[in-house]
Amino acid sequence: MGAILGYPIYNLVRLSFQQYGLFELLQHHGIPVGLHNYGSILRDSVFWHTLLRTVVFTAANVGLTIGLGTLLALLLVRVSTWVRLLLAAGLVLVWATPPVVAVQIWNWMTNSQNGVLNYVLTQLHVGDYFQHNWYETPFSQLAVVTTLVVWGALPFVAITLYAALSQVPRELLEAASIDGAPAWRAFKDVTVPVIKPALLILTSLSILWDFGVFTQPYLLIGPGHIVPDNYLMGIYLFQEGYVRTEFGRGAAISILMLLIVAAMSAVYVRRMLKVGEET
Amino acid sequence: MGWDVVGVAAFALMAFPVFWMVSTAFKPTDEIHSIDPTWFSSHPTMQHFRDAMDRPYFWTDVKNSLIVVLATVVIAIALSFVAAVALAKYRFTGRGLFVVLIIGIQMLPPAGLIIPLYVVLARYHQVNALTGVIVTYLTFSLPFCVWMLRGFIVGIPKDLEEAAMVDGSTRLGAFVKILLPLVAPGLVATSVFAFITSWNEYIFARTLLNDQSHQTITLWLSYFLGTGRATDWGALMAASALIAVPVVVFFLLVQRRIAFGLTAGAVRG
Repeated sequence: MGAILGYPIYNLVRLSFQQYGLFELLQHHGIPVGLHNYGSILRDSVFWHTLLRTVVFTAANVGLTIGLGTLLALLLVRVSTWVRLLLAAGLVLVWATPPVVAVQIWNWMTNSQNGVLNYVLTQLHVGDYFQHNWYETPFSQLAVVTTLVVWGALPFVAITLYAALSQVPRELLEAASIDGAPAWRAFKDVTVPVIKPALLILTSLSILWDFGVFTQPYLLIGPGHIVPDNYLMGIYLFQEGYVRTEFGRGAAISILMLLIVAAMSAVYVRRMLKVGEET
Repeated sequence: MGWDVVGVAAFALMAFPVFWMVSTAFKPTDEIHSIDPTWFSSHPTMQHFRDAMDRPYFWTDVKNSLIVVLATVVIAIALSFVAAVALAKYRFTGRGLFVVLIIGIQMLPPAGLIIPLYVVLARYHQVNALTGVIVTYLTFSLPFCVWMLRGFIVGIPKDLEEAAMVDGSTRLGAFVKILLPLVAPGLVATSVFAFITSWNEYIFARTLLNDQSHQTITLWLSYFLGTGRATDWGALMAASALIAVPVVVFFLLVQRRIAFGLTAGAVRG
């Protein structure tokens, strides 16, 4: 067990200090180059642009996922039983949809010829979206990717938070409303403290997933349209390490990503380590 | 009442993409190509499903996916069950390191693992081979299986196990008679979760398998969209629906337990 888990990580660290291309792949051993890979990545402006873009992308995706997920969870508490069952069933259906399938649905809905999105937006008089191309600019591309990622991530967040909300003492909420406290006040002072642990874990997990996301942006933007202007970190790593067969460099990017992600989701790591220790 | 309207609207918005996939899959081609969409077709057809299944490599790749997924699930569950029991019930040297490894692997972006795995598998000529993919899938399914099972095992009261041992059973007897029936639901849920993640997996398959006859079904689907203008959307949506069906069915069966396992273990979704 330890070997299966440990070996890839050991190998990853070792590779990041080596020059390892196609030639070395055939020879089965790399040439030690010390910190060269790290140095060249940190001097690469594409790396810094991609990092900034990915941080903004992650912030937007995590913010939307947690925000909308909380609203959905609160909604699940408010509605009558049949609506709750209906909404929960819908959420589970979305949760169960494989990501590659979801990408193809999005491709179909957003295609410029006769995609349903353009039709609906035009009908609703949001604007003239007749044959609008959603993949024109990197911003628009990543915005569409965001809708896909958030849509796919919402069910897990909403259902987990709904479970956490059932721990909120009803009497306290009632007392708050009798005392005439505004709804947002009751939410902030009664509800939030109870669901805070769940919120923290979900936020950390979302950061982890969204920062390293690959399948959705790669397939939705389309392998042929992936350019440095729309790179996210996962794709940057894939292009530099795998497509250009510079495995040493790719390994170094992985390590840098791991460090960044670990720093951003420190809460999750601490919590998981504690769970592991306790039992 | 007001909230109910909002709830139904939220349902409609969330479920629409899935509805649209199913609706398109049954629609005649001229309705699909029309500028004004038809919401429910009055002439449903099965033609797109036949077209999808008749495309090259569909059945080969379904078979490949099944081989990979079943092998992964069986090996992962067998190994991780032992590891999870050890983790939940005993203290041993290197336990801390083990936990760190499990969490570390799960934190690595999947894209980060492809590099070392590709290099190692190339060394043993396992690129373009299903066995290489199975080994790869084990590296990510083992950690979450261990973590998820641990959550289920920890929930079993120690008294029960001890009572069985006092009654004259051996440790193994106590294990088989008491522990196994209690964790069976957990085992099922974890297996299903491993099944779903392996069935849905894309990036590892993409990097390791370059030969069309050796691809998984998710790869097959990802290559469906050609470069030409005339995409066969009907067949694409029919194929998507076919690939989603096993996942949806399994997921519905164990959804509650997965939700529990996820929050108990907090693993990749």
